Amino acid sequence: MRIACPFCGERENGEFTYLGDAKPQRPAMVALDAGVGASGEQEAFYDYVYLRDNVAGEMSEYWYHGGGCRSWLVVQRNTMTHEISSVKAAAGTGAAAVKASARS
Amino acid sequence: MAEFVWHAVSPLQHSFTPGRMGETADAAGVRMAEIRNFNLVQIFARRGQWSAVAKAAKAHFGVEAPTRPQAVSGKAGVLLWSGPDQLSALTARRGDEIRPLDALRDRFAGIASLSDQSDGRCLLRISGARARDMLAKVSSVDLDAAVFPVGAAAATAIDHTAANLWREADAADGSPVFKLLVFSSFADSLWDTLVDAAAEYGIEVESPAGL
Amino acid sequence: MTVYQPNRLDKGGLIDRSTPLDFTFDGKHLTGFAGDTLASALVANGVTLVGRSFKYHRPRGILTAGSEEPNALVELRSGNRREANTKATTTELYYGLEAQSQNRWPSLAFDVMSVNQLFSPIFVAGFYYKTFMWPAKFWEKLYEPAIRRAAGLGRPSGLADPDHYEKAWAHCDVLVVGSGASGLAAALAAGRTGARTILAEEDSRAGGRLLSDQGEIDGVSARDWVEGALAELASLPNVRLMTRTAVFGVYDGGTYGALERVNDHVPVPPRHQVRQRLWRIVAKRCVVAAGAVERPIVFSGNDRPGVMMASAVRTYIDRFAARPGRNLAVFANNDDAWKTVEAAHRAGIGIAAVVDVRKELTQAQRTLAQAAGFPVLNGVIHDVHGGAKGVSGIEVQLASGKRETIAADCLAMSGGWNPAVGLSSHHRGRPKWREDIAAFVPGDDIPAGMVVAGAANGAFSLDACLREGHEAGAAAAAGSGGRKAAGNAAVAANPDDALSIAPVWHVEGKHKAFVDFQHDVTASDVALAQREGFESVEHLKRYTTLGMATDQGKNSNVTGLAIMAEVSGRSIPQTGTTIYRPPQVPVAIGALAGHNRDEKFHAARQAPSNHWAAERGAPFVDTGLWKRAQWYPLPGENDWLTSVNREVVTVRNGVGFCDVSTLGKIDVMGPDAGTFLDRVYINLFSTLAVGKARYGLMLRDDGIVMDDGTTSRLAEDHYFMTTTTAKAGPVMQYLEYCRQVLWPELDVQLTSCTDQWATFSVAGPKSRDLLRNIVDPAEDLSNEGFPFMGVREVPLRGGMYARLFRISFSGEMAFEISVPARYGDALARNLMIAGEPFGVIPYGTEALGVMRIEKGHVAGPELNGTTTADDLGLGKMASKKKDFVGRVMATREALVAPDRQVVVGIKPVDKARRLRSGAHIIPKGAIVGPDTDQGYVTSVCHSPMLGQWVGLGLVERGRERFGEIVRAHDPLRGEDYDVEICNPVFYDPEGGRQRG
Repeated sequence: MRIACPFCGERENGEFTYLGDAKPQRPAMVALDAGVGASGEQEAFYDYVYLRDNVAGEMSEYWYHGGGCRSWLVVQRNTMTHEISSVKAAAGTGAAAVKASARS
Repeated sequence: MAEFVWHAVSPLQHSFTPGRMGETADAAGVRMAEIRNFNLVQIFARRGQWSAVAKAAKAHFGVEAPTRPQAVSGKAGVLLWSGPDQLSALTARRGDEIRPLDALRDRFAGIASLSDQSDGRCLLRISGARARDMLAKVSSVDLDAAVFPVGAAAATAIDHTAANLWREADAADGSPVFKLLVFSSFADSLWDTLVDAAAEYGIEVESPAGL
Repeated sequence: MTVYQPNRLDKGGLIDRSTPLDFTFDGKHLTGFAGDTLASALVANGVTLVGRSFKYHRPRGILTAGSEEPNALVELRSGNRREANTKATTTELYYGLEAQSQNRWPSLAFDVMSVNQLFSPIFVAGFYYKTFMWPAKFWEKLYEPAIRRAAGLGRPSGLADPDHYEKAWAHCDVLVVGSGASGLAAALAAGRTGARTILAEEDSRAGGRLLSDQGEIDGVSARDWVEGALAELASLPNVRLMTRTAVFGVYDGGTYGALERVNDHVPVPPRHQVRQRLWRIVAKRCVVAAGAVERPIVFSGNDRPGVMMASAVRTYIDRFAARPGRNLAVFANNDDAWKTVEAAHRAGIGIAAVVDVRKELTQAQRTLAQAAGFPVLNGVIHDVHGGAKGVSGIEVQLASGKRETIAADCLAMSGGWNPAVGLSSHHRGRPKWREDIAAFVPGDDIPAGMVVAGAANGAFSLDACLREGHEAGAAAAAGSGGRKAAGNAAVAANPDDALSIAPVWHVEGKHKAFVDFQHDVTASDVALAQREGFESVEHLKRYTTLGMATDQGKNSNVTGLAIMAEVSGRSIPQTGTTIYRPPQVPVAIGALAGHNRDEKFHAARQAPSNHWAAERGAPFVDTGLWKRAQWYPLPGENDWLTSVNREVVTVRNGVGFCDVSTLGKIDVMGPDAGTFLDRVYINLFSTLAVGKARYGLMLRDDGIVMDDGTTSRLAEDHYFMTTTTAKAGPVMQYLEYCRQVLWPELDVQLTSCTDQWATFSVAGPKSRDLLRNIVDPAEDLSNEGFPFMGVREVPLRGGMYARLFRISFSGEMAFEISVPARYGDALARNLMIAGEPFGVIPYGTEALGVMRIEKGHVAGPELNGTTTADDLGLGKMASKKKDFVGRVMATREALVAPDRQVVVGIKPVDKARRLRSGAHIIPKGAIVGPDTDQGYVTSVCHSPMLGQWVGLGLVERGRERFGEIVRAHDPLRGEDYDVEICNPVFYDPEGGRQRG
């Protein structure tokens, strides 16, 4: 398999490490002024840490170009055919090119 | 107490002696040399600061900062693209300078994070008529002259180890010249791998040189 | 000693008669010529019997002339280069070649195990499944060894392969697989456009069937046309011809696996050269022009030595000038086999008869029969007469109902041609059936970027092959961005020599009729499988082992499923094919491993002081990829424990140093670096003062401990993190994930600087005294001036600077000192000088481990991916003031259960006893079993300070049980002894020593 890194160009998959489904969102960090978190946060984390769809078809996945530019990438891949339809950098990759005013 | 002497030791200090290796029937197809006495500083632009960093790099090194996989050579040295938001500045070391960041801190204050990598990497020059054939055994990158022109660079992996590879101006005889930057701790092991790959073409190991 | 070759034709062939090559077969001296294969040389020498079959030990001869050969497998070479199951048909002859026949005892001609044939009724399909199901231990002790002696193929050498292998990458616009008429036409068309083209040919010589078949292309002979095509390709700098290179697999994204047999054609590879090279070819487009494989017909006696594929007979005659027989019979169901008749007649070989299942003959065929004076019989072969050494005659069942016996010494058979659909089906593609040629051709679902041309696509006429090849090459070049014109297609003289075929698969006869020659699967086995319910092709394959031998059924699969279709009353398309997978040809494990074997199995990392350590005789141990000094033996120390005990005692009473450069080091920089670390560590780092270090612990999001280490703050926006040696890479990858994926809003930059610094731990009560000798005297190293967990840059004497950290892993007063890595060797030497007045010694990883166990410090065996912070006794470190990774899941019920296994100390009740890690903890008086297993010993060492073995363990409710005696049960080593659960800090539990 070959993955077109948006920074480096097309590279063989040995340069990349697979993480998994890019869909689950990690629950946000919270303030712990009272010393404890909110109720229901364990369920949210249970979903995030353990529950995954077993997708047959198009799936967005995280891949790490560790044998290259060390970018985390979001790869749109068909799990049936291994066809890759898009590769994008993760949100914080290449952040220096983002305008300073965009900082939240 | 005796005075202390600080001898610098390259990671390849004991790995080779200059001269011929491998096949010796014909002229060496591959020439390999270790480049010593360089400073290497990783310049990592902070959030939203890329254009300020590019400007500062231009002012300091006198060449345009590459925004894609390229190695831009100038009088002061080489600016190498080493990842998104990242440059590696490769310059000649003056004497036994040990704090290369000092000269850059003010210039990049607040716009980039700097990390000294001068000792973290080992630099090799690989050239010769069969250099491409030899590199094809260790690199998955297409190094064809048209696809990988002079100035092209790649952050890639060799024997599952991160490396930076770039092409410099051809040698006088028209054969290609590549530079390879590898992690210091892996250098001895990768040297053996490169020698194995080049052995059938005949190797001329040159004396260590400066940048 | 040149030996006369009785079956060598006087003229013709692509062999070099001026270069005779002596070789041996089963010890017998024979001679061939340069250009021969082992098989063609055997044919020329009149050797017909070359091996015994797998199951029935039936005598077998050469069946084919290519890589589909099922019978002529030999052991090639001898000693540590002996290679089993080598195809004689693809082995190039070289001077001094040694080959042995396989699977026979005591000799090929008289084989004791051929008695298996008498018992053949019990060796039918499913025999193993039916016979040896019960009792299980009989299988292991009795049946399997007996069967392995009786069956099987060649013997491995049992020795390490002395040759070298390597892997390489190639890149191109167009890859052409196969260099027959279609492949050459494709390569010419692609090459002329300027596209980077690779033409891969598994044979030593390009040309494919054009080397064996007659024909006329563009007004010259086929062979001359091949020479012209090769000359043109050689003139194009963008074209690369790779002979001896078999493309064996199609992988995702246009990556193709190929095996180049660089030096299989010489006895020993020249110095500095590999035997084989594994290529990964990245191609934008691929033209598969891999040709077709002729298939046998299944009839009684079809496996006798002397029965050969018709195309192979032609190859031996025309390419190799070797005569497979003097009186040839032919059995065919198609026109192609008649080319063999022509070739034999031209070579002066007698034609005994042609048996054709078809009634109608062409005018040309009738003319040939008349001119050569042989009978053409409409019918089928009923039986083949002869013995182990060859054919003596054929018994023909005529369409008229009569039987006729005809004398012949060789039988050429042709059941038609199977296009080579393997590569085009490697992405789970299903070939489709074409009735007109009675064969499967590539389906519509072939891999992206691939086009199939010529015989591989079911185009069997020379003209069609040239045309399809040209069109495919031009289209592939255009698709890959080629610009110039592809020129004109070559044209064959006989545009209309299409294959006329009447499919006949199987002829009923009186004896065994073989489908799969290598695995001895017969037509009746296929029928039996059907009767027993194994109708699906995948079941048929596994039940009968059809197509599962080293040839992967290249000439048997289609015939097998056609017979299955016949007996099950279905059509061939309904019956279907099995899945095709790489490798298309066998690939040696050595080639797949390439450079990475033995000490080069993986790249190794050297610590900065390793050369110095080697000078002092230190042995090295693999720690992940690193080589680390294990201990430093002194003269007279002959066992490791003596050296390690001395190192520990010297450090605890004086001073020693250890290279700890292997710890992962990461610069964490930027305005949000503190916030970032607060999130990844369970404890606070944003409040850490500049110039201070703190021990940090990281969890995974599931609440389990990931890693630990000491992180210092060097500047307001610069932290310097250390990780364990083992986790340096994974932690860096994880932190990048946090930075790039989880929290893009943070302005933080990460750079690995593990290799930048040479770091030594200087430990022991005299460590400060040592440092005072090497650090600039102006620096205050007193407890007040440089307190525990202090960090700062200090100048060293002689013009150096260092980062100095006052941190301790050994429990002694200790410092870590770092200099740029190129001065690591000098630092080791200078520490020896500075510490000389205090009796300094270097110490290795063993003493390091002893001291951490004596202090109860956790390491890899305790940070094992199952333990929580609290299990390790570090639960109190977790900050309640801020959120961090793992906080939520660490509070799950099971992770805070009171009966969790937690870190404790373990010491033997019998102080003289040695502890072993891995022993299980069982309560006294309990019966050993999973229910009573309460944990295990994780780390052990001999503590010279306590004068006994001590260890750490993970034990249920361990912290409540200090003083309890339990059993350490070690079934692996057959040990069972009493140990006491105790405080894990064995040495200096108050921690006074490290604070100095």
